[in-house]
Amino acid sequence: MFRKILIANRGEIALRILRACRALGTEAVVAYSEADRESLPVQLADEAICIGPADARRSYLSAPAVISAALVTGCDAIHPGYGFLSEDEGFADVVAAHDLTFIGPPAAVLERFASKAGTRQLLAAHGLPTIPGSDGMLRDEMHALDEAERIGYPVLIKPSAGGGGKGMRMVRTPRELESALKVCRSEAKAAFGDDSLYLEKWLDENRHVEVQVAIDRYGHGVHMGERDCSVQRRHQKILEEAPTPALSDAARADLAERAVRAAVAAGYENVGTLEFLVDATGAFYFIEINCRIQVEHPVTEMLTGLDLVATQIRIAAGEPLGFSQADVTMRGHAIEFRINAEDPAHEFRPGAGLVERYHAPGGPGVRMDSHLFTGYDVPPFYDSLIGKLIVWGPDRATAIARGRVALDELVVEGLVTNVTIHQALLANEAFLEGRMTTNLLDRVGSAAFLAAAARS
Amino acid sequence: MHDPAQPDARRPERSSAERSADHAAIDRLSGELLPALIAKLGATGLGELEVREGAWRVRLRRPADGTSGTASRERRPGDRERSARSAGGGSTAHGHAGLTPVGPGREARDGHDGPSDRDARDGRDGRDGRDGRRIVASSPAVGVFQPRPEARAGTKVRAGDRLGSVDMLGIPQEVVAPVDGVVGASLVEAGDAVEYGQELILIEFASSSPEA
Repeated sequence: MFRKILIANRGEIALRILRACRALGTEAVVAYSEADRESLPVQLADEAICIGPADARRSYLSAPAVISAALVTGCDAIHPGYGFLSEDEGFADVVAAHDLTFIGPPAAVLERFASKAGTRQLLAAHGLPTIPGSDGMLRDEMHALDEAERIGYPVLIKPSAGGGGKGMRMVRTPRELESALKVCRSEAKAAFGDDSLYLEKWLDENRHVEVQVAIDRYGHGVHMGERDCSVQRRHQKILEEAPTPALSDAARADLAERAVRAAVAAGYENVGTLEFLVDATGAFYFIEINCRIQVEHPVTEMLTGLDLVATQIRIAAGEPLGFSQADVTMRGHAIEFRINAEDPAHEFRPGAGLVERYHAPGGPGVRMDSHLFTGYDVPPFYDSLIGKLIVWGPDRATAIARGRVALDELVVEGLVTNVTIHQALLANEAFLEGRMTTNLLDRVGSAAFLAAAARS
Repeated sequence: MHDPAQPDARRPERSSAERSADHAAIDRLSGELLPALIAKLGATGLGELEVREGAWRVRLRRPADGTSGTASRERRPGDRERSARSAGGGSTAHGHAGLTPVGPGREARDGHDGPSDRDARDGRDGRDGRDGRRIVASSPAVGVFQPRPEARAGTKVRAGDRLGSVDMLGIPQEVVAPVDGVVGASLVEAGDAVEYGQELILIEFASSSPEA
C-alpha cells in the first residue's frame, strides 16, 4: 500500500478520495488552487499544498505543479480523481518517470485505450458489438461529409479525448455537420487540448447504460453490474440509477459479463467503465471506456457495499483484487442526483457565490457526497457540480420515494441549483415507468419539461 | 493596478448621453464595485480580479507578495485554524497589505484597516508587521526554494530583480522583488519545500518616509 497519496483534484471528489485514504489508513495531501484555499477538502486534510492560481491550466491541469507537489510532500502516489489529468496518458507517463504511482490504469494501458476509435476496434475484436462510426479521426470537412453519408444521418460528432459532453453535437444534415465541426473542434481543443473528432451513428431513441468493472494487475476481473445514465441534458448526465429499467435481469447479466470479459482480454487494468448505447429492441453497442473513477460511482457502491475508490487505490498499489465475481452481490435500487449550481430557468447558466445555508438530507438509504458547507464561497472557475445526492431502496419505487423526500429536505441557500429538474423528473411519467431515453429532456427542452412537471 | 480600459479613443464624436453614461459607470466602478472587489480579492486570496461596468473595466492584481500561504500546512484533523479569512474577517490583513493602494482602492483599504490592525495587535497574525510597509516576495510555484546569493539581506533591489528561484521539476521559476526596496529577512531556508504563493523574502522600502 502507498505511504502517502497526493489528491490532485477538488470539490466533492477530493473529499471522497480523502475519505477513502483515511479508511485505508493511508496519509493524504490535498493539492489545491488559490481559489480553493477555503474549500472543505483543504480544511479537513491533515496536509494541504497550494499548487497554483485559480486558473486550472496553472494548477489542477499543470502536470509539473502536481508532480512537484507530490515530490516535495513525500507522496508516493497521485490520485487524479475525474476530469483534469485523470485520463491523460502523458501525465501518467511523467508520474511514473518520477517514481510515483498514478492511481488509475498504468500509462501503457491508458495509451492503449486513449483513442476512442481505436478502443472500439480493440473491444470489437474481443466480442463487443460497436456502434457504426467513422473510419478513424475526421481529417477534414470532406472526409467528415463522406463518412456521415456512409454511416447515415443523424450522426454524433464526438471528440477523441475527454468526455462530459464537450465538443459533442448531434447533426441531422450535411449543412448542420459543416457548421458544427468548427464549434466541436474549438470546444474539444479548449477542454482537452486535442481537437480530433470522429463520428458515430446516432440512435434517436437510445438508453445510455454502462458497466462498472474492476480488474487487477494479475488479470482477475469482476463487473459490478451496470448503471443507467439515460437522463441527460445536452449529453451531460444529470441522474444515474441502477439497475437499469431498460433490460431484463438476464440481459443485464449478459451485458455485464461480456463487458468484463472483453476488458480483461483487451488488457484493461484498474476500475473502469464501459459505456453502451441500448436501442429500443434491447440491442447494445459499445461506445467508449472511461479509465477513471466516475462521478456516478456511488450508485454502484450503494448496490454492492464496495468502496470503489479504495478498490482503485489498492489495485494501483499492486494488490490483488481479493474477491471474485461470486462475492459481488447487488441489492436493491440506487439513484444519484447530480446537484449542480446552475439555473434551469436561464439555460442552466452556471452560478457561483456564497452558500448562505447548507443542509444535507439524511435518513435510511440517503447519502450526500458534497463539499458544501454554510459560509462556503463557491468559486466561479470550475465545474458546476456542488454535490451528489444518492438514495437507495430495496426497490425502485422506494428509492424514488426516498429521493423525493431527500430532494425536498436539501437546503442550499444563496445559490440557484438544478434541484427543480430532479423534482420534475420524479414526477415525469416516462421516468417513473423507466422508459426514459437520452433525449427525454432535450426533445421538449428543459424549460418545457419543467413547466409540464409544474402543471401535473 | 487600476486599469480602466479606454472606450474607443478613435471614435470621433460622443454624445452627452454617452459621456454621462461613462461618468455614471466610472462613479459606480470607483464608488461601489472597486471597494467590493478589493474586499473580495483580500478574502479569496486570488491573484487577480476584473469587473466590467459598461464599456469600462477595472482589473485589480495583487503584486507578487502573495497571500498567506505556508508550505504544506500540516494540521490535525478538525483543526479549523485557517489562514487568510480567519485572520481578518472578511477583509484580511494579508489581502489588503498586498494591494498597492491606488485611487478608490486606497479608500477601501483605509476603511478596512481597523479590524486588521486589531488582529495584528492581538497577535493573531504575528507574521504581519502591519506598519503598512511590509512587502514580501512570494513563491511563483510549488517546489524547492533556492535564494540567489547576490540577493542577501541589505541588498538594494528594483522591482522585478531576481531574488532566487523555486525549482519545479528541474525548471527554475524566478522569485522576483515585487517593488523597489531592500532585501530583508528570508522567511524560508535554502532547499525548503514551498507552495505556490508562499511568502519567501521580506522587502523593506528603501525610503523611511511614513506612509499615510
